[in-house]
Amino acid sequence: MSAAVERSSLLAGGTRARLVQAGPADATEAVVFVHGNPGSADDWVRLVGAAGAAGHRAVAFDLPDFGETIAPDGFEHTPFGYAEFVAEALDELGIERAQLVLHDFGGPIGLVWAMAHPDALAGIVLIDTGVLPGYTWHRLARIWRTPVLGELFQAITNRRGYRFALNRNEPRGLPREFVETMYDHYDRRTRRAVLKLYRATPDPGGMSENLIGLLAPRDVPALVVWGEDDAYLPSSYAHEQKQAFPSADVHVLPASGHWPFADAPETVERLLVEFLARVGARAAEAG
Amino acid sequence: MPGSDSPFPIIGDRPAYDAVVVGASLAGCATAIHLARAGRRVAVVEKKPDPGAFKRTCSHFIQAGGVPAIERLGLLEACEAAGALRSRMHAWTRWGWIEAPPEEAGLGLNLRREVLDPLLRSTAAETPGVEMMLGWGVERLLREEGEFAGVVARNPGGEERELRARLTVGADGRDSRIAELSEVPVKTFPHGRFAYGAYFEGADPAFAPDATIWMMDPQWAAAFPTDGGLTFYAAMPTMERLPEFKRDPARALVDFLGDVPEAPPIREARLVGSVTGKVDMTNRMRKPVAPGLALVGDAALATDPLFGVGCGWAFQSAEWLAEAVAPALGGEGRLDEGLERYRRRHRKELAGHAFFIHDYAGGRRFSPVERLMFAAAARDAKAAGMFDLLGTRRSRPQRLLPRLLPRAVAVNTRHALAR
Repeated sequence: MSAAVERSSLLAGGTRARLVQAGPADATEAVVFVHGNPGSADDWVRLVGAAGAAGHRAVAFDLPDFGETIAPDGFEHTPFGYAEFVAEALDELGIERAQLVLHDFGGPIGLVWAMAHPDALAGIVLIDTGVLPGYTWHRLARIWRTPVLGELFQAITNRRGYRFALNRNEPRGLPREFVETMYDHYDRRTRRAVLKLYRATPDPGGMSENLIGLLAPRDVPALVVWGEDDAYLPSSYAHEQKQAFPSADVHVLPASGHWPFADAPETVERLLVEFLARVGARAAEAG
Repeated sequence: MPGSDSPFPIIGDRPAYDAVVVGASLAGCATAIHLARAGRRVAVVEKKPDPGAFKRTCSHFIQAGGVPAIERLGLLEACEAAGALRSRMHAWTRWGWIEAPPEEAGLGLNLRREVLDPLLRSTAAETPGVEMMLGWGVERLLREEGEFAGVVARNPGGEERELRARLTVGADGRDSRIAELSEVPVKTFPHGRFAYGAYFEGADPAFAPDATIWMMDPQWAAAFPTDGGLTFYAAMPTMERLPEFKRDPARALVDFLGDVPEAPPIREARLVGSVTGKVDMTNRMRKPVAPGLALVGDAALATDPLFGVGCGWAFQSAEWLAEAVAPALGGEGRLDEGLERYRRRHRKELAGHAFFIHDYAGGRRFSPVERLMFAAAARDAKAAGMFDLLGTRRSRPQRLLPRLLPRAVAVNTRHALAR
């Protein structure tokens, strides 16, 4: 089930970002989707539609230099710069409370936003991301982080190589269209942004302790979905999310990889819709 | 015994029984029925006193390869009258569904152990020549001149009885006491998965009455629709999933099955009874014979429950043993030769299967050869037919692999070129 998804754009942080939304546009509480790398607002079309059909306001937008959105001059390509962009986008959209849905690098970005706006966080859905205590970068990230090698790697990556490298690590393979769109968006800007972002994040697990200390006492409603065969962020981290979100409902999906919303779309949609209903019911109970 | 007609020395009185069978579950009852029908006197010793007792930690599924043995036992109609379902197999793989053409697919049998075990036990008890001793456990084995010669049984009241028999049959399962007491050689293979399962009602899986398995590499799940409108759902994950199952078995089971690809409607179904689980299922392969003694069913070969072979092999091994030793127990030919025939038959029929099962049981992922075969079976009806013959244990790996492997190479090459 999905509602009509509306595509438009949003002026925030000095740039015009692609926007995908559904549901009641004037609600001040919304389900906010933050994509990872490589990724874009397109990752979320199905889930935005599903959340909208379930009666929620749902929004997803490109992060600067991803998808078709260009970063303004002087944009800070760090989790902090991106988190600030998210904050500005939500301001612009009139969203005061958010249920975040985060994937991959959208995790650190969304969590930094949550640290700055803890009272605005109504719930959180972590898809192959979250707090990563003790995590050291996956191989591809280590390549990106290495000067010259990273540039070289980005320069020689072509469509075939990209498709091959991506699918090699996925237990079921990803839908062709999904991979093609991802590559279409993997332009020179995105490639440069990726190098900057990963180089600005030397210790991906470093923030975990602060996040856990800040978030755990709040016991924010949380859903964790993780592809069991994720080759980049191991699914052993799925249950670790309870450190930050003690009541989290954790689902490790068998035979799924780093993009569960692409290789197990029905399951992820069902889990998300059920979660939103649960949180909604709890909020109603609390009055 | 040189010069003697019978290999069994008759010291004092003739043994009271031709065979004493320890264990009144599937393999034990089937052995007793076959031997008694051949005119032999059989005592069945079972430590559970309740005639309605049944094995609880079992998926109940009987592969198509085991069904003819039930039919020859004369119990297939009774099973079907009791509500048993005949099921084909659908297997999910990352390459697609493996489904043999319907006319080629083996028909397994689904009947809860709660129904099957008492049915079989009462059939055994009613068979002339079978003496059922429920509530008796085995204290020790009797030996005479280097051969096993029966058991000493004991009831909860402390009464002991010496049951002399020319053949002692261990049909007492995976943790066989008879195997332990007789010290037959055993090989063990580590098991890296655990199993939880339960019956549900109210929402049938997509292929019902057919069975479904999800070969998710390395995780497995299964759905077996059965009698009474129930479905047995099983999760067989690797060990890192154990904590969630220990914490809340019912919830973990529903979540696990609910999250598999093309998931069955377990969330809409109602749990009936309790969730059962088993964690240590070290695979054991024992030498199935010793002088005057034989092992059948799980006591002889206890493999990974992943493949649903235990029940079928219990019926089959019981039949092989009875065929091999009934003449000697009646005075025709030597018992040791009969036992040797049973050992060879058991080995020929099951060793190939067991090799592949043991090899996979540790919890590893599919090997390149397995991936090749499963991918081909998902893409090609003929390969799927061969996979079905193998998986339903209607044929042996030794016979099928030489045909399946070249087919798999051809199918996958064609597939790669067509892309």
